[in-house]
Amino acid sequence: MSTSGMFADLPVDVGLAHEGERVRKPQMHIEFGGPDVKEKFELLRVKDPEEVEDGKITIVGPDVQDLEEGGSFPFGIYVEVSGEKLEVEMEGVMERRIHDFCNYIEGFMHLNQRDSIWLRLDKKAVKKGLNLEVTGKALQRLFKSEMAIIEKIQITFITDPKKVKKRFQEALEIYEGRDARARGMTDNDVDVFYGCTLCQSFAPSHICVISAQRYANCGAISWFDGRAAAKVDPKGPVFEIPKEKCLDEWKGEYEGINKIVSEKSLGEISRVQLYTAFGYPHTSCGCFEITTFYVPECDGLGVVHRDFRGQTPSGLTFGAIADSTGGGRQVDGFHGISFEYMRSPKFLQVDGGWNRIIWLPTEVKEKLKEYIPAELYDKIATEADATDITALKEFLREKGHPVVEKWVETLPEAVEAPMLEVMPVSTPSSGGITIILKNAKIHAEKVIIKRAK
Amino acid sequence: MKKARFKVDELESDIFKITGLEATVGNFYEEWEETPGPTPMPDISTFRDWDRILLNKYKPFYLPLCDLCCLCTMGKCDLSKGKKGACGLDMAAQQSRIVLLSCAIGAATHAGHGRHMVEELISKFGSDYPLDVGGLSVLVEAPHTRLVTGIKPRTLGDLEDVLDYVEKEITHLLSCCHTGQEGDNLDFESKAFHAGMIDHVGMEVCDLAQISAFDFPKADPEASLVDIGIGSIDTSKPVILVIGHNVPPAAAIFDYMEDSGLEDSIELTGICCTALDLTRYTNKAKIAGPLSHQLRFIRSGIADVIVVDEQCIRADILDEAKKVNAPLISTNYKNFQGLPNRTNDPIDEIVSDLVEGRSPGVVILDSDKAGEAAVRIAMGVFPKRKKLGIIPEEGEIIEYAMKCTKCLSCQRVCPNYLPLPEAMEAAANGNLQPLSDLYESCIGCVRCEGEGVCPNNLKLHSMIIGASRSKIKDEKFKVRVGRGAISDTEIRRVGGPIVMGEIPGVIGIVGCSNYPGSWKDNAIMIEEFLKRRFIVTTTGCAAMNIGMYKNEDGLSLYEAYSGAFDAGGLVNCGSCVSNPHISGAAIKIASIFAKRKLNSNYEEIADYIHNRVGAVGISWGAMSQKASSIASGFWRLGIPIIVGPHGSKYRRALLGRKDKDEDWYTIDARTGKRVYTGPAPEHLFISVETKEEAMTLIPKLCIRPNDTTKGRSIKLNHYIDLHKRFYGAMPDDIQLFVRTMADIPITMKDEILEILKEKDWKESEVPAPDPTLLPRLVRKRGG
Repeated sequence: MSTSGMFADLPVDVGLAHEGERVRKPQMHIEFGGPDVKEKFELLRVKDPEEVEDGKITIVGPDVQDLEEGGSFPFGIYVEVSGEKLEVEMEGVMERRIHDFCNYIEGFMHLNQRDSIWLRLDKKAVKKGLNLEVTGKALQRLFKSEMAIIEKIQITFITDPKKVKKRFQEALEIYEGRDARARGMTDNDVDVFYGCTLCQSFAPSHICVISAQRYANCGAISWFDGRAAAKVDPKGPVFEIPKEKCLDEWKGEYEGINKIVSEKSLGEISRVQLYTAFGYPHTSCGCFEITTFYVPECDGLGVVHRDFRGQTPSGLTFGAIADSTGGGRQVDGFHGISFEYMRSPKFLQVDGGWNRIIWLPTEVKEKLKEYIPAELYDKIATEADATDITALKEFLREKGHPVVEKWVETLPEAVEAPMLEVMPVSTPSSGGITIILKNAKIHAEKVIIKRAK
Repeated sequence: MKKARFKVDELESDIFKITGLEATVGNFYEEWEETPGPTPMPDISTFRDWDRILLNKYKPFYLPLCDLCCLCTMGKCDLSKGKKGACGLDMAAQQSRIVLLSCAIGAATHAGHGRHMVEELISKFGSDYPLDVGGLSVLVEAPHTRLVTGIKPRTLGDLEDVLDYVEKEITHLLSCCHTGQEGDNLDFESKAFHAGMIDHVGMEVCDLAQISAFDFPKADPEASLVDIGIGSIDTSKPVILVIGHNVPPAAAIFDYMEDSGLEDSIELTGICCTALDLTRYTNKAKIAGPLSHQLRFIRSGIADVIVVDEQCIRADILDEAKKVNAPLISTNYKNFQGLPNRTNDPIDEIVSDLVEGRSPGVVILDSDKAGEAAVRIAMGVFPKRKKLGIIPEEGEIIEYAMKCTKCLSCQRVCPNYLPLPEAMEAAANGNLQPLSDLYESCIGCVRCEGEGVCPNNLKLHSMIIGASRSKIKDEKFKVRVGRGAISDTEIRRVGGPIVMGEIPGVIGIVGCSNYPGSWKDNAIMIEEFLKRRFIVTTTGCAAMNIGMYKNEDGLSLYEAYSGAFDAGGLVNCGSCVSNPHISGAAIKIASIFAKRKLNSNYEEIADYIHNRVGAVGISWGAMSQKASSIASGFWRLGIPIIVGPHGSKYRRALLGRKDKDEDWYTIDARTGKRVYTGPAPEHLFISVETKEEAMTLIPKLCIRPNDTTKGRSIKLNHYIDLHKRFYGAMPDDIQLFVRTMADIPITMKDEILEILKEKDWKESEVPAPDPTLLPRLVRKRGG
């Protein structure tokens, strides 16, 4: 029996306490989807009010109790919602909540999303009465409780393999359409951006600006997420930023952004240009996924992600680089960003975009392979190619990286400095250690300082 | 960085020509990237104001364990009912004085251990030996040391300077306990906080040194799993048992075993933190159990040699060792045990004397020599001892139990009031189950066997152990080796989820294992929060207890959960001296996310942690003075601590009054205005009676003024859910924690809305301030 009032009539408990539960194979009653099942999906659509019957739950095919114990089955969840303030753009954001909400249900494990879902129901929970009907009720109540803008909701579960197959194709088309729309949308196409001050709870002077082509630094909030969050909780930490006058389209500077940033940072930051790491770059919080680092010797930008454990060619780790830019500051060339922003056509466009990237860890390179211009792919070094500046320069020169052309103009050959010999004694020398002696008593029999000839 | 005197006979360069130059330098420090903050090397007075801010919010509530003061010869003085002692001290001041004394003893114990460690490691590895606690993934290697002293230590030698400071402060703190020094209870409390802060620096030094020099796992979430439990020890081999906290002698034992090719011929096992640290040195060592396992293990006769170093060793260890003919080697002058110091004697003579039984034990203050002696003695006595134990067999137990008169004396002296007489009655009738049922709850103090307690002089502890033979055989579990620090990368990775509320809090479960109830209680509590995706950190005997439990799938929690500092991760940092990695993680959150200055900037960082980082400590079986100083170091950082039922004997609690609205205002650093932010966290130090009470308090004490709405709703969800489960009703204070509608947990919306209506709740005007308790941190508008 559930202990929560809202779900008191359901045979299993529904609450956050169950979010971390795992259902292992021996405890599993049945599973829907998963690696052994090709056809599975979950889909949420925004519909007109007359198309949705609030509270309706339909099960096409057998429910849990009528399926063979221990089996893996094709499966579809089809959620239809309506509401005056709902928009088709918010479908993806709302759809992702199915994952969280399913996991709140006692004995229900939900992994992944879209057409890769993997659901397991626990034996004990099924014995208590957990089935799709119950799941539907829980999901409906959770959706409406979390998002007051959902006025009506109906859910269809499909377990009949033939029906799943048909709807599965439909779902794939919808995902593709959604993705294409998102990829095609530019900052020019939208009237508003979104601001996020969630991180201010830990880094009080940081504000994220989320545009259609620039994800939040944490990688967790897209423009669509921002839009949904701002609509669901108008007083919350995610809010609309009217673009207002465009001050520089190339650099991505807008009057509306400058106003908000200045207000929310108490004047510490007055200008932000979205598509550059120099001058007035977007500030860096504490939880960015990636940071760039400027390599003056090459006049290029390196990129390093949070999970890279080694040293970059500049001799610094992710931590050290992140440290020099985090906390809501603007530091030339050192710029906290998300993976998703690196997939954007606007990615550091002012600075040369991918043409300016000279080094990144193999893992990042692999992950972003399809977004790196093909002609550049082999010209960007990884830790396998260069672990110091000398090797990096050599690599870039050998491969003919675009930054090399600039070297001739800006970097005289003399910059190829000879190796400095380490001074054997600790006489104060430029770039060395400064020793401050406080109340030192030095007794010298004779000190002779001679002018150099 | 050391006091230095240098001499240059002759130096010639382009600029200088120097002959016969001599110079002396007091102290010189290499500057690090960060300029010093306002409070390098703080003294007792430096954070008095900060302490008072906390103590005003969390007023001390005294629980005198004893109404008398017996410290000077004017006494003893009765301080009850408002009376003052001959020196003028009242009850509140006396209780807080004892708190300070306890914290100073604790801090001195860790600092002394640290000094011992650093000196020994310098003698072995040199003072220039570099510190490394996590390679490139730990740039902030010493958060406490940097924060408090302003020193960024690079080598073993640098740590000596830090210890100089720590020792100086402890001396002053101890001196404050003298008659006629301090009269105000809050000033005593502030000094206890100072002792706690200093203690975390001292512990950090100790662990930094041993991690670096002994090459312990370095911030490794996948540190190996090792065996724990008496049943995991192969009794067909000679067994060496180490007990205590200072690992160098134990490490030397393993080195000698390895050098002699005996590492697979001898079982090396340990009890208490030496055991934990030994497994950080070699995963071939096994942990017999926490400190409560000392006597049961010794009396079982499994150990052929017992090697002790310092802390938490039974004072009667020699008597117990003699009973089973196991030679005792003491390796530390803190613990001579009345034995002859034979450090300088030829090792062959020592070995021969102990193997032949001419001497029950020796002191050897040289780790390498003790290591060699232990191994050779173990090999020598093994065939002679034949695992002599003094645990009675089933028939004997029944026979003894028949003598029991059920006078209840044993139950009365038992700290946990275990039902011994009932168990004896059953045993007398041939049913050993009730006796065996006490096995997991008995903390092995043997007060029940004390002189004059049992009229028939029954050895009750041995009888419990004897009734539990089959259980002990199956006592085989896994524990993850202490990983040391939390890496900077992990701190960054959890940043997002903590902000978004997906990680509701960080729990530190630490301390001794002397709690009533089953030893499994620590694990049962923590399993609930691992499932709920909290980050759980642990050290010391608590870390061992957590390992000695199997979940539904037959796995220890270390096998079932990841070792990463992440949602649902179970992070064993190591031994007692590894506790600063837990508090240090909170410091790093401030330093990494908000770029708050770390160098000599304690007050600001503590203010940040107190108002923002949802961390809570639990020390369920805390018994020692060290536990009090560890807790005190958390208090000064504003991190609440929950202790088990015996914790009230620490003599005072630091309790918030949620009914007093005026106590719960913070300053919004954006506007400088005072804002009501609710009782968050509600208490700073509280002792509770049951694990269910503790489990309900944990999520509640993770609530902070800066919570995002999502974070608050998730914390409230856990709090309310557990409250309903354990108390069968909604808590009565929900309205104090809901700031806006978005704070309400979605799965409980209807019922909470009803309550809010009933309580005439109003939405907060500033639900998300930039909270601080320090007026100087109010931000000025720039630009």
